[in-house]
Amino acid sequence: MYALAFITVAPFLWMVLTSFKELPDILTYPPRWIPERFMLDNFRSAFEAAPFTRYYFNSLFVAITVTLGQLMTCSLAAYAFARLQFRGREVLFYLFLGTMMIPGQVIMIPSFMVLYWLGWIDTYYALIVPGLASAFGTFLLRQFFLTIPRDLEDAASIDGCSRFGVLWRIILPLSRPALATLAVFTFMGVFNDFLWALIVVSSDEMKTVQLGLAIFRDRYQTDWGQLMAASVTATLPILMVFFFAQKYFIKGITLSGLKD
Amino acid sequence: MSIFHAQQGRKPGQGWSALLFLSPTLLVFSMFVLFPVFFSFYLSFHKWNMFSADTAFVGLENYSRILRNPEFWGVLKNTVVYTLGTIPLNMSLALLVAFFLNKKIAGKKFLRTAFFAPVIMSSVAAAVIWRWVYEPNFGLLNYCLSWFGIPAINWLNDPTAAMFALIVMGVWKTFGVNMVLFSAGLQGIPDHYYEAAEIDGAGRWQKFWSITLPLLSPTTFFILVMSVIGSFQVFDTVYVLTSGGPLGTTKVLVFYLYEHAFKFFEMGYASAVAYVMFVIIFVLTLLQTKYLKGTIHYTA
Amino acid sequence: MAGDFHTKVLIKPGGVFLTILIIAGAGSLISGGCGKKQEEASGKVTLTFWHSCVSSTVPALNELIERFQKENPGIEIRAQYVPTGDALVQKLITAVQSKTSPDVSWIHADFLQDLVEADAIYRMDDLINGPDSLPRAELSDFYPALLRAAQWRGTLYCMPMEATGIGLLCNRELFRNAGLDPDRPPKTWAELRDYAKRLTLDRNGDGKNDQVGFFVPIFPASGPLYAWMVWQWYPFLFQAGGDVINAEQTHVLYNSDAAVQALTLWKNIYNDLDLKTFTIDYEVAFASKQLAMTLDGPWNIPRWNQIKGLDWYIAPLPEGPVKRATIVGGEYLAVFKQTQHVKEAWTFIKWVIRPEIQALWSMKSGYLPVRRAVHTIPEYTAYLENNKPLKAYVDQLDVAQAPSPMDYQGMKITVHIAEAVEKATLGRMDPKTVLDESAEKSDELLRTQVRK
Repeated sequence: MYALAFITVAPFLWMVLTSFKELPDILTYPPRWIPERFMLDNFRSAFEAAPFTRYYFNSLFVAITVTLGQLMTCSLAAYAFARLQFRGREVLFYLFLGTMMIPGQVIMIPSFMVLYWLGWIDTYYALIVPGLASAFGTFLLRQFFLTIPRDLEDAASIDGCSRFGVLWRIILPLSRPALATLAVFTFMGVFNDFLWALIVVSSDEMKTVQLGLAIFRDRYQTDWGQLMAASVTATLPILMVFFFAQKYFIKGITLSGLKD
Repeated sequence: MSIFHAQQGRKPGQGWSALLFLSPTLLVFSMFVLFPVFFSFYLSFHKWNMFSADTAFVGLENYSRILRNPEFWGVLKNTVVYTLGTIPLNMSLALLVAFFLNKKIAGKKFLRTAFFAPVIMSSVAAAVIWRWVYEPNFGLLNYCLSWFGIPAINWLNDPTAAMFALIVMGVWKTFGVNMVLFSAGLQGIPDHYYEAAEIDGAGRWQKFWSITLPLLSPTTFFILVMSVIGSFQVFDTVYVLTSGGPLGTTKVLVFYLYEHAFKFFEMGYASAVAYVMFVIIFVLTLLQTKYLKGTIHYTA
Repeated sequence: MAGDFHTKVLIKPGGVFLTILIIAGAGSLISGGCGKKQEEASGKVTLTFWHSCVSSTVPALNELIERFQKENPGIEIRAQYVPTGDALVQKLITAVQSKTSPDVSWIHADFLQDLVEADAIYRMDDLINGPDSLPRAELSDFYPALLRAAQWRGTLYCMPMEATGIGLLCNRELFRNAGLDPDRPPKTWAELRDYAKRLTLDRNGDGKNDQVGFFVPIFPASGPLYAWMVWQWYPFLFQAGGDVINAEQTHVLYNSDAAVQALTLWKNIYNDLDLKTFTIDYEVAFASKQLAMTLDGPWNIPRWNQIKGLDWYIAPLPEGPVKRATIVGGEYLAVFKQTQHVKEAWTFIKWVIRPEIQALWSMKSGYLPVRRAVHTIPEYTAYLENNKPLKAYVDQLDVAQAPSPMDYQGMKITVHIAEAVEKATLGRMDPKTVLDESAEKSDELLRTQVRK
């Protein structure tokens, strides 16, 4: 078990250690793990070769915006599905769920065209707007909302609280675990996204970290030190989030699995 | 809660509230999900080059071109090979690890984090590292193999080895998810079943076979279905690791789709490919549901 | 209660981080921007110049611009970096459509079709024959291949600014060790094949070649380096007397006998040396003395200079069955019709192509010059004598050829060629068969292509 765990993390370790090495050190065979000298040169030159700071900002900006956006739209929609009565509610909900079954690739091409016609290609809009609604998120939150007892809400509405107020003041604070799970999941998904960014981004200023890394690899494929340094920086935010919010990751996966 | 509970008069304005609450989601959805789904279908019957005004209705020509095209069948085969290669390995590994983690082991949390770590890493970063692992002259894998006297293999450049390399990396990257799911499933099996079996004198293997596996079957079924859908959609790692592989041996469906849509801008043909892919996945899911649902045991 | 939502739902560190990020982001969005023109109030003319110089060349570019501005006090150049490749042409077209195009820009020859169709750039003839004219004699001083590539359908639309090419990079030490004359590179195809074999050895007896004689650049045809692979094959195609496409662009020529010869050479060497098991990181392999010869370009000269203990030099490519040839590429300058300062833009271009400026630019940036007159400048010839690798590249310019233009389906045709190259070498298939297959696909595309 321990051996297996070590094997699993070995590539990570190598990535981090290599990012500190000098080129001759990297190329020695048999490979050596600990660098001869620790140096930050690779990081510096990687950031000089490509504007990783900018890529970073793009990735974080997009990921955070989409996460917050989804939290908002999904909460609203989930509340509507869970608490509001209207005609065709269940039908609409199952329709929503149904769209989760459609592979993204079917949607990808026309979405790109819509963005092109809107003139949004190569802008933040392209990276953010399509991700602002999520069937999965709506589903997750709706299931959670259904488990909240109605007494508090009823009490609040008797006190004259509006529908939105009920959502904001009562339901959401009680839904922290679900919201946190959705937030963590969404953030990870958007930050790590590659294909969509590859399609809608063409200029250097708009690239995300993942895109920048892939293209960096295409151009500097033989510069292992820099490549590893770039990979380390691409992985860092997620690792941090993971560290602080591990249980939400796990919970999110189990929630998605146990719906029946 | 009855479905059509609302009557227009009884709770006035609920419909409007609902609309308000649903509007952001509905707006985004209609533009980026509903419209695309239908437009994609429409596109698949056209020849549509995005940047030149070269569009025309071509009926079923795109679909017949797919069926006639040997490259497409090769791509489909690659995808199937990838799926068949990763799933058994992935699921067994995940189950094995989940099983052991379920027992009392020291450092469980650390171990679980270690096994889950590849999942959270981005595919691109992971592929960059694995490119080094697979490097023929000074990569980690060949170095380890040299301990056993196995000659160096050029993993990413050799037409037969490349798919294998992709499978191994694919399993590494995703088995953590399944591990978590299996863990949850395992924990859902009440202890008293095991206790009862022990009283009846059942051995470890028997317990596993007659209790654990059957009661785990809902989870297993779910994992299987999701894994099949997931493997059919693999893209990121292929793009970064092998770029469709030496001689197209690792060109999978989504890569093929990407090429035709965003490299050659043949929107019509690519949409047809997307729909064919959708149908294949749908049929597979249906088949799995039909034939395997019967094997699922639920707790009484 | 609203406060609860913020502090408890968002992970605490994330909340602070988020706030900082939003502030930083707002700041950078405001100050960043995409090249908004600021009109100088001083009466000077400002030219916006887009280029794709990599960071190591930027200082040289700045020097160049400074000198221009000194010699032309009324003109100021605002240089802006734009990454090259497909992104550049898309960006140019978008800029033209939104009326924010630069005055002058670096372009690649294959951008011409899009730019001309968008009616975005001036015909050079109008400027050459205009008020600030350029004598015809000067034009003929340019290396013909460069001028040919700067034309679209026979009309010159841009001026060459700099050139690059391919040569043969050799490691003297490895030659010596193998008993070969370290200063005598292979001069024919047969010698190339022979030397490559002699320079491939298993040094430590472990059954695996740890040194390889020549790197045949084979990359996946569906990957990002397919065009680079094909570009390096073209010299061999030219050396056998072949070409890529016919002048009318109705069918391709890359399945001719000459092409089969060129591809067979690659196939033979690739399989002689069992390159399938060798790394594709050829630069790293050369740097660690595992590779004796490889195709290379002038952009790598600084890199090899930095490695201590590496005894290397650049040789001209071997001669093929029909002739000596190498491929030439480069960047060109185009003037955009939306500019308000045609006169000044043309002044800049005329200045850049002057022999002494070309010499200066070549010396500072490491690019190859675009015209022969540079050799009349003593400073430059002396520089070349001291910089033998660069001289080797420059000398080859006389036999440099550019592929004939492909107006339509250029990318797909290149992909077809890449597939054939990959199949013949890595896939060990028959060169004639795979070239014919690819040619058929390309011809089909050309046949059904709507022409304007």
